[in-house]
Amino acid sequence: MAVLEKLRKRGAGPAGTRDRCVADLVAALGAERVHNDGAARLLASTDASIFEGGVAGPVCFPDSTAQVQACVRIASAHHRPVVARGAGSGLTGAAAPLGEPVVVATTRMNRILEVDGANRVAWVQPGVINLDLSNHLSPMGLHFAPDPSSQPVCTIGGNVANNSGGPHCLALGVTSAHVLAIEVVLSDGRVVMLGGLDAEPSGYDLRGAFVGGEGMLGIATRVAVRLTPNPAAVRTLLLSFSDVESAAATVGAIIAAGLVPAALEMMDQQCVEAVEDFCHAGYPRDAAAVLLVEVDGMPGGVEAQAAKVEEIGRGHGAGIRVAADEQERQLLWKGRKSAFGAIARIKPDYYLHDTVVPRGRLVEVLQRIYEIVDRHGLLVLNVFHAGDGNLHPIIAYDSREEGMSEKVREAGREIISVSMEVGGVLSGEHGIGVEKRDFMPLMFSNTDLDHQARLKSAFDPVCMMNPGKVLPSPHSCADISELSRASGDVWG
Amino acid sequence: MDLGLDRDELDKCVQCALCLPHCPTFRVTGEDARSPRGRIGLMRAVQYHDAPLSDQVVESFDTCVQCRGCEPACPSGVRFGRLIEQTRETLVGAGHRPPAKLRFALAALDHHRALLAGSTALAVAQRAHLVPSGLGLPESLPLRRPTLEPSGGDVHLFTGCVMDAWQRDVHLAAKQVLEAMGVGVAPTGAAAPCCGALHQHAGMADKFRGMAAATVAAFDDDQPILVDSAGCGAAMKEYGNLLGTPAAAAFSARVFDIDEWIALRVDDLPHATPLEISVAVQDPCHLRHVQKVHESVRTVLRPFVRELVELDDDGLCCGAGGAFSIVQPELAGLIRDRKTESIVRADADLVASANPGCSLHLQQAGHEVAHPIQLVARALSGVGT
Repeated sequence: MAVLEKLRKRGAGPAGTRDRCVADLVAALGAERVHNDGAARLLASTDASIFEGGVAGPVCFPDSTAQVQACVRIASAHHRPVVARGAGSGLTGAAAPLGEPVVVATTRMNRILEVDGANRVAWVQPGVINLDLSNHLSPMGLHFAPDPSSQPVCTIGGNVANNSGGPHCLALGVTSAHVLAIEVVLSDGRVVMLGGLDAEPSGYDLRGAFVGGEGMLGIATRVAVRLTPNPAAVRTLLLSFSDVESAAATVGAIIAAGLVPAALEMMDQQCVEAVEDFCHAGYPRDAAAVLLVEVDGMPGGVEAQAAKVEEIGRGHGAGIRVAADEQERQLLWKGRKSAFGAIARIKPDYYLHDTVVPRGRLVEVLQRIYEIVDRHGLLVLNVFHAGDGNLHPIIAYDSREEGMSEKVREAGREIISVSMEVGGVLSGEHGIGVEKRDFMPLMFSNTDLDHQARLKSAFDPVCMMNPGKVLPSPHSCADISELSRASGDVWG
Repeated sequence: MDLGLDRDELDKCVQCALCLPHCPTFRVTGEDARSPRGRIGLMRAVQYHDAPLSDQVVESFDTCVQCRGCEPACPSGVRFGRLIEQTRETLVGAGHRPPAKLRFALAALDHHRALLAGSTALAVAQRAHLVPSGLGLPESLPLRRPTLEPSGGDVHLFTGCVMDAWQRDVHLAAKQVLEAMGVGVAPTGAAAPCCGALHQHAGMADKFRGMAAATVAAFDDDQPILVDSAGCGAAMKEYGNLLGTPAAAAFSARVFDIDEWIALRVDDLPHATPLEISVAVQDPCHLRHVQKVHESVRTVLRPFVRELVELDDDGLCCGAGGAFSIVQPELAGLIRDRKTESIVRADADLVASANPGCSLHLQQAGHEVAHPIQLVARALSGVGT
C-alpha cells in the first residue's frame, strides 16, 4: 500500500492551520465538511480498481453548488488540483488522485431536486445514486435508463463523467443519450449551464463534450436527466450453449434478424459458476456459455420477439429457459450484475477489461483471449454485453503471489492489442482513467490526441481538474511523471 | 498493529463498493470511513501496513452499527460481522474500552433480580422527574410487570435481560399465542439472565463467551428455545461457532426466533377476526441479514391484520443497533430519520418490529410500534384494535 507510505512520509495529520489550503477550505465549508485526516485521505486515494496514483489531499464534502465553487476557487488559489469523487466505484482509477489534489466528494449532494413526469425530465444533484433515482421514479412508471452493474451504488455524477453504459443501453443508448443539461463548476470557479431542456438547444453541443469527460473538464453540480417509461411487458430468456461459438453466432443472428433486444448479455462457463455460487439463480453450470436476452415493449410485440429469439436459439442448439416471474427475472439479473464481485470467491483480486470489438469477431477474440491467459497460466472469466460487442474479460488472480501482478498486466496489454487489431476500441463504458491512458496511442493518432488536449484546455486552461488522466504524455497538460513520481507507476 | 483478523477473510474484499448503499452510516454521512469497504481498507492499513490507530481510525470502527446489512449485498461473501467483531475485541484488549456509561449498563445485564429492581427504581424516579433525558431510556419505564407463569415444558421462552425488565408484555403475548396453539411454555426468567449480544457488540468477547457458556449450561433438555428478540436470537444461534463445543452447537440448533418457529406451524394457530389495521413491517437487521428468517414475520402476521405494508428502504437499519443508539446518538438519530421517512411513505396504522431495541428506538421518534406477536395475541383475544 504505497499510498500509506506516502501519507506517513508527509506526516498526514488531522486538519490544522499548518496547511493554508486546508484552513481556507475549513473556513469556507466548516470543519465538518473538510476531512484532512489519514483515514479519510487514504480511503479517497483509490476507487474500485487496482490502480493507485498519488494521494488524496483534503477530502471535501460540499452539499451545494456554491460550496463546490468555494472548493475549486480555494484549490486554485493554492495551486492545488481538484479531483471529483462519487461513490468510488469506478474501475479505471479515474477518481484515484494523482499528485496530492483536493478531493471533492459529491456523496452529500444526493438530492433529487425536481421531477417533471409530464416532460420526463428530472433535475438531480450529482451524488444521487443511480438505482435510488429509478426506485424513486418507479411509482410514476419511469426510470433512468443507463444501468451499469454498479447501479446500486454508482452516482449520476459518475455516470456523466464516464458516459456509463449497462446491459439495457443496447436498445436505449448510453448516458449521453439520457442527459439533457448539466450545471458545471469550471476551474476558474464560474458556474455554467451546458445543454438545455429545449428540444434543439442552439450552439455547439458542449453538454455532449462534457459527458465522458472523466472529471477533467469541470465538476457537474446539477444534472437534468431524461426519464424513460417502464416497458409495459418484459420477457427474459436464458439460453445455454454447449460451445461458445454457437452462443456468439446466436448473438449475430438475433441482431441480423432485425431484433433489438433490451439487453443481450453473455457469460462463459467459468463466470457462470462464480455467479451461481453467489446468487443460486439456477444458471446451468455445465453450459460452455449462456446468453441472457431481454425483450420488452407492448405485450403482443414482446411475445413475438421472444418467440423469434427462441426460434433462433433453438436453431443454434440452445437450451432455453424463460423467467417465469419478476422474482426469477431479478435473480437472473442479480447474478449477471454481481459477476465482478463474485469473482472474489475464486481469487482475491481481479483485473477487468472493457474493450469493444465488432460482433462478427467475437468468437475469434474470445479464443485469442483464452490463448493469452493460458500462455500466462492465468484464469479468465468472460461476462459481457454481447449485443454491442463490449467485452469484459476478468482476470482473477492473487496479488500476493510473486510476480503475479506483472503477469496480469502483460496479459491485459495483449488483450487490448488483440481487440485493437480486429478493429475494436479501448473502452466501452468504464472510461480510460489512468488504466488505459498509456494505451490511447494504440487507438488515436497524435493529431487526435492533441485535439482532445485542446478541448480539455478550453474547459480548464490551468490544468487543475483531475490532471494526468486519460491523455498520455506528451499530450497531457500535466507533467504525468512528476505527478506520479513518488509512486513509480500506478501499480504501486 | 495485528488486529488478529483472518487474512483470507480480510483479502476477500475486492473494493467493488456494492456494500455502500446498504450501510446505514455511509448512507447518512457519505464518507468512505463510515462504510464497510472503507472500514476494511482501514483494517488492512492497520494490520498489514502498521497504520497508526488514530482517533479517526478507531472512530471508523466504533461507528459501525453491526447491522450486517453489508453481508447479503457482498458478492464476494465477506463476513464483515466477524471482521468488525474481531477488530473491536482486539481494540478493547488494547485498552480502547467502550464508554463508561455503556460498561456500567452492560455490567448489570446478567444480574437478573438486580436489573429488574433497578429498572423499577428508575421507573419510580422517572415519574418523580429525577431521571435526566438523553440517557437513551424509554420515556416511560414500566412500574409493574405481568408475571409469566410456566404452562408446560414443550418449549422454552427466552426472556432475557432488558426486554424482561421493559417489555415483558411482549413475552406475555408470545406465551399467550403459543398456548393458543396448544404449546406448553416455560419462560426462562432468572435461569438464563442474558445472552451477551450487547457485550459482543461492544467488543467484550471474553465476557460474551462466559455468558454464552452459562446460557448453554442453563438448558439441560432438548426442547426448542424460542426467542422474541431478534438480536438475542441471532447471538444465541452463533454460540455453536463461538464456543466450538458439541453442546453449544446442539444448543444453537434448537434456538428459533418466535416468528420462525410459529411460521413452520402456522396451521396450528386458531382462526381469528383480523385486526382492522394496516401494519408496516420493519425488519430488524439481525432477523433479516443475520438469521434471514424475516419472511416468517409476514407469514405469521398476515392472517391477523387487514393489510401488511412493506417499507421501501430495502431493509436498511433503523439505527438502534443494540446499544448503538446510546453510544452514537447523533448517527443513530440520522439513520432513524431515514427510516422515519420510509415509515411515513408507507402510511400504515402502526409498525411491527420483532426486536426490542428497534421498537424502543422507533418509539422514541414517536412511532407506534408493536412486536408482531403482540398483534397476533391481540387478534386472538378478540379485543379488536
